[in-house]
Amino acid sequence: MLRLPTIGRALAGAAKGSLAPSNTVRTAVRAASNMVEVFVDGKPLEVEPGTTVLQACEKAGIQIPRFCYHERLSVAGNCRMCLVEIEKAPKPVAACAMPVMKGWNILTNSEKTRKAREGVMEFLLANHPLDCPICDQGGECDLQDQSMQFGSDRSRFSEGKRAVEDKNIGPLIKTIMTRCIQCTRCVRFASEIAGVEDLGTTGRGHNLQIGTYVEKMFMSELSGNVIDVCPVGALTSKPYAFTARPWETRKTESIDVLDAVGSNIVVSTRGGEVMRVLPRLNEDVNEEWISDKTRFAYDGLKRQRLTQPMVKDASGQLTPTTWEDALTRVAGALQSVQGNDVAAVAGGMVDAEALVCLKDLLNRLDSENLCTEELFPMAGAGTDLRSNYLLNSRIAGIEDCDLLLLVGTNPRYEAPLFNARIRKSWLHNEMNIAMVGHKVDLSYSYDHLGEDTSVLKELANGTHPFCKVLSAAKRPVVVVGSSALQRQDGAAILGTVSTIAQNARTSSGVEEGWKVLNVLHRVASQVAALDLGYKAGVDAIRRNPPKVLFLLGADAGCITRADLPKESLIIYQGHHGDLGAPMADIILPGAAYTEKNGTYVNTEGRSQHTRVAVTAPGMAREDWRVIRAVSELAGVTLPYDSLEEVRSRLAEVAPNLVRYDDVEDANYFKQATELAKAVNQDLLAAPLVPPQVTVKDFYMTDSISRASQTMAKCVKAVTEGAAAVDEPSVC
Amino acid sequence: RISSVMASTAASRAAVSAAKVVKPILSRDLDEAKRRVRELYRAWYREIPNTVAMFQLDITTRQGRDKVREMFDKNKHVTDPRVIDMLVIKGKMELQETIHIWKQKTHIMRYFHETQEPRPADFLSKFYRGHDP
Amino acid sequence: TCQLEVDLGRLGLRDARRRQTASCPTVRPKDAVTHNQLAAFGEYVSEIMPKYVQEVQVTCYNELEVMIHPEGVIPVLTFLRDHTNAQFRNMIDLTAVDVPTRQNRFEIVYSLLSLRYNSRIRVKTYTDELTPVDSAVSVHKAANWYEREVWDMFGVFFANHPDLRRILTDYGFEGHPFRKDFPLSGYVEVRYDDELKRVVAEPVELSQEFRKFDLNTPWEVFPAHREPKEAAPKLEAGEVPEKK
Repeated sequence: MLRLPTIGRALAGAAKGSLAPSNTVRTAVRAASNMVEVFVDGKPLEVEPGTTVLQACEKAGIQIPRFCYHERLSVAGNCRMCLVEIEKAPKPVAACAMPVMKGWNILTNSEKTRKAREGVMEFLLANHPLDCPICDQGGECDLQDQSMQFGSDRSRFSEGKRAVEDKNIGPLIKTIMTRCIQCTRCVRFASEIAGVEDLGTTGRGHNLQIGTYVEKMFMSELSGNVIDVCPVGALTSKPYAFTARPWETRKTESIDVLDAVGSNIVVSTRGGEVMRVLPRLNEDVNEEWISDKTRFAYDGLKRQRLTQPMVKDASGQLTPTTWEDALTRVAGALQSVQGNDVAAVAGGMVDAEALVCLKDLLNRLDSENLCTEELFPMAGAGTDLRSNYLLNSRIAGIEDCDLLLLVGTNPRYEAPLFNARIRKSWLHNEMNIAMVGHKVDLSYSYDHLGEDTSVLKELANGTHPFCKVLSAAKRPVVVVGSSALQRQDGAAILGTVSTIAQNARTSSGVEEGWKVLNVLHRVASQVAALDLGYKAGVDAIRRNPPKVLFLLGADAGCITRADLPKESLIIYQGHHGDLGAPMADIILPGAAYTEKNGTYVNTEGRSQHTRVAVTAPGMAREDWRVIRAVSELAGVTLPYDSLEEVRSRLAEVAPNLVRYDDVEDANYFKQATELAKAVNQDLLAAPLVPPQVTVKDFYMTDSISRASQTMAKCVKAVTEGAAAVDEPSVC
Repeated sequence: RISSVMASTAASRAAVSAAKVVKPILSRDLDEAKRRVRELYRAWYREIPNTVAMFQLDITTRQGRDKVREMFDKNKHVTDPRVIDMLVIKGKMELQETIHIWKQKTHIMRYFHETQEPRPADFLSKFYRGHDP
Repeated sequence: TCQLEVDLGRLGLRDARRRQTASCPTVRPKDAVTHNQLAAFGEYVSEIMPKYVQEVQVTCYNELEVMIHPEGVIPVLTFLRDHTNAQFRNMIDLTAVDVPTRQNRFEIVYSLLSLRYNSRIRVKTYTDELTPVDSAVSVHKAANWYEREVWDMFGVFFANHPDLRRILTDYGFEGHPFRKDFPLSGYVEVRYDDELKRVVAEPVELSQEFRKFDLNTPWEVFPAHREPKEAAPKLEAGEVPEKK
């Protein structure tokens, strides 16, 4: 993938064009002759034509200092920090914007280069405040680091410094605009990656300012990334402000579980408390971005937590108790009923280890009543064929597709990073996008085919005009949202979509490996639960109400007291006192995703695992341990005592779950379509409306984000304007 | 270079002497080392009643002597006279600290590990005990 | 700029500043005279006591080091103390370094000062966990507590020491804390027990938080710029070619 920005794009195009014939000739000599030979500090190097000086140096292992250049953004070339000397050139060139020419000798450490850097640094620092001691970027500031490396050790500046008024752009991002060095990375991020034209520059020269022109909120689900992108402390995190320094935090590499994308994150902790969440590079999943929910919902981990076991007493009041007491009661309840009188419901943030433990426990009690909260049509092939419930094309695979059909989903809020990929592909690869379902703002333009199910039917039987476009596509992809499959006619929708996909596949004539049908999930545990053989949806439980119901982090409120007989016992195990806990008779406190080693499978079927960043609060324990302890007291001891043993059990049940960072392919579309034909194909007339339509639906979707004050502020700011949550600035 | 030449000669000398005998700490052979152990044991044995009285310990002389025996037995597998000597030296220092009442009651009673609970071995007790068993 | 010059001049800092800008401030300037004097003296010492002196080197331009065999502690220290041309009569420090990979893992370091010649010398020898080193107390009284400290912290036994016992650790403490294989958190932790009415020691149980060590520094963005321009000088005594 060439990620060449606007200036470079023309060049990249030229490069592609010139490279194309060489591919057909396939001789090493020809290929080599197309390379440009340059020298970096005298060392020869072969690079592709169109490579910038900065990239050539990078290839030679030399990093050029920069502020405005960012490899995922277009080139601006306005900070001038990357100036390097080219031998025989009259003046230094900006390495980030200048493509190399044959025979150039780039001098990355010459006297002239050093002088240029020092000069640029002096200009940048002329208007930069010396408030590093109170700046949140201190310790991870590009300007700070590079001024230590390349700057002068004294100031010649005696004039007055410029000062800029701070802007209120929402409850997440704190702006201290005096610190801004006008690199415009944030502006480019907003317009290119996030797809919102909220940020821009006003004024010129000395008066140039970054802002929203009229004071408004920076309305993007990816807005937090401008904090990482900003090379100085102009844009910092509001919730994190003045709480910790980067060198005093411990970093734990982990996985986000607040949506089904499985973004790779780094959890920064200090003294057993999560201080912030940062993205971690994974080109196949989230590149280097994360959504605002992932980044800012961490304060929900400290509030509304279940910290000790609780039991409902005679008066119906939940009272704290000991583990011994709670576990004995649970074990007693499990022993007193048999077979299918006990059932379990797994929620959206449960790790695979706990899922497999719970399944083994219930199977030992002769019960098969294991469900997930998220519904998935079980008719037809249902969850038996793995390809039926995965995002088969993969997140990164979207970059190879040329036509995308979205059905009943709003990827922007259901999976923001998947949406960022779609936007990237739309922007750089000219991918066409069409959508059946409620019309929403996806940050890119698309062909809205309608929101009725009749459109789907027409697409399936080939009468819709869009079918022509679909059949002309070379690499089509169809993505259906999991919410569309959770209607009464979910199975029929899946059947219809799978027919559309199968038709598109045959007409496009792509190779066998190309997958068209994709399902976009919304919760992190769903794929692992289906892989382990959980039934999707709680219908079975509603039909046969059990005497004992075990809720494992089930907080979506799919099942309530009203669905069960009066005398039945509800056990809730989870980390937040959200919707599930209040209706329970016994509460077992579990660990949240930052507090356990848990395996999660994302919507594309990629298995990843979280790591322990902090210990669980109070008496809370890792979920699988709780279930293992229950099993011992109930007389059906599960045969594993350690995480390794649980994982080897996982490997027995579903080996793909422990092959971390590997995507297990599944390809049974033909069979699935055949099986789907047996299902009732009648679609309901109700329009396809995803549950998250606007940005205010995005922030609070699960027990952690519902407990987060920051997320609550976001909702308030979105509905009432950024000024509504304005806090008096400390500095 | 002078230094390197000298280093090599000195090193070879050292190597020759090292191959023959190691420098003893106190005892020349195992018997002598054993004699020292017996002497130390006897000294401790005699000192125990005094210790119990001086420190006003809540233990009997018998218990104290059993503890001394236990601690000597802990190292009974040691056969290298130099290691034995080192242990004897440390044992003597402990004795000296005890006789002179440089130690306090807490130091003496540490030998008995009274408050130390055995680490839980089975899953359930580890579970009840804490987060990271 | 002018203003600054004037200020610096007034404060008498101009000279300091010039020196600072002239060379990298962290590297000591080379002084050929001192260096040669020290090298010559080192050579002299090694010629007089070839049996004990294994190597002589001048580090950091003006620090003379004499490496000796452990048998030679008393004679070499006595020589350095009493010889007219040495008169290193003050023992400044005696310490040890633990390098577990070496066969003789402990390096014993004696720092001496000659007030007569305003000169310092460092004598180094080696030993392992079980080999005793002769005590230097008979030569320098100052060695008494230093050797107790080395015994306490490293477990090196000094033969013929008049009063070798612990000096820093608590009575009943087990292990030698400065050994590299001694855990940073120790083996026991103490607390006051309210039932027993005294302090009790129990095996350490540190929470997860304190058992992880983050060794990555966030500051090495441009490592190439950190490397010194020339290799660190490694100079040894007897730089004059050998005459034979």
